[in-house]
Amino acid sequence: MIDWQLIIKEHGSAVWQTAYRLLGNDADAADCFQETFVSALEFCRRQRVRNFSALLTRLATARAIDQLRRRFRRSRSETVPADWAALESTNPCPAEQAQYKELTDSLRESLSKLPSQEAQAFCLRYLNDMSYQQIANELGIKANAAGVLLHRARAKLRESFELSMKEYK
Amino acid sequence: MEESEKMLEKAVEALKNEQIPPGPPQKVIESTMAKLAENAGQADTVKHKYRILILEGLRATKSLTKIAAAAVLLIAAGYAAGRLSAPRAPDMEQIRAALEPTIRQNLIDETKQYMQLGLANAYIRIKDELSQQYRQDLGRVALQSVAASNAVTNELLTELIESFNEAQNQDKQLVTAALKQIESRRLQDRTELSDALATLALQTEDELVRTKQDMEQLWSYTQSDSITPKMQ
Repeated sequence: MIDWQLIIKEHGSAVWQTAYRLLGNDADAADCFQETFVSALEFCRRQRVRNFSALLTRLATARAIDQLRRRFRRSRSETVPADWAALESTNPCPAEQAQYKELTDSLRESLSKLPSQEAQAFCLRYLNDMSYQQIANELGIKANAAGVLLHRARAKLRESFELSMKEYK
Repeated sequence: MEESEKMLEKAVEALKNEQIPPGPPQKVIESTMAKLAENAGQADTVKHKYRILILEGLRATKSLTKIAAAAVLLIAAGYAAGRLSAPRAPDMEQIRAALEPTIRQNLIDETKQYMQLGLANAYIRIKDELSQQYRQDLGRVALQSVAASNAVTNELLTELIESFNEAQNQDKQLVTAALKQIESRRLQDRTELSDALATLALQTEDELVRTKQDMEQLWSYTQSDSITPKMQ
């Protein structure tokens, strides 16, 4: 039997960081955190886990992308009141911070539009610094296929950024 | 193209370096443990479900007979090889003695972990119930206190209003009595004054008459004195 308390103690912080980085707020990160561990429990019933850290990172990324997808789908159909509290900042350079915020929001939205596996591969590679082989192991594919997924994801994200730049101009 | 590549790099860098608050919060850990404990309780049913699915899958396999034949052959071959190569029958008591502590330990560990999860779940549930009960009690006591203080305040206000009214009435009575007294004194003074004036007028008149008489008398004396020497 698996000691989940110990696992949460050891890997909880990493899962939280992965979820929060992609979702950007406490409430969604908390939901994602819970869903990740429930998914891990279900995964453990089906097969033996060799590397909990990688599994939890992959599951957290997948759940966070699902959540992002739901969020942006919802935001297209309803108007959400602006989060004015988020504007408060102690940063001495608000313009730069606003630019970073816009970039990260844009990347989150673009990730939510990618196919799930491509988005997962991208996040695991560029946000969690996993190698091609680790990504392949976690996604159950070959290392070459992981490379293809990453290439496609990058191309689509570039295209998305280019489109947004044209719209801006 | 290069510009969008740069922007993508920048966005990835920004997202990677974004400030993340330390976490997860204790509340999230507790709710996750509760959820895991709840899901762990459903483990047996899930396992059965998967077993049924695997069996159905195997039944559906066309090569089941081939697999079965191969398995029978393998078992027979293995059995024969074992019988031929085995020097003597395995000592069941020894095997049992060797396995028993491990099995016992595993059983104890599993029971312990299951109990821990159950206890954690019960602890969280009891904590929630107690906090809910505490909030309800606190709310009830607060309502009762507010109602009691309202009643006391109303009573005190009524008493205060009554005392105000009473004091006002007393003041009114006192002011009325004083006014009446002033009026009666005024009337008395007026009467006295008019009487005194009448007396003064009468006395003045008397004095005037007397003065007139004195003057006339004086005049007559004066006249008689002046006439007498002339006549001499």
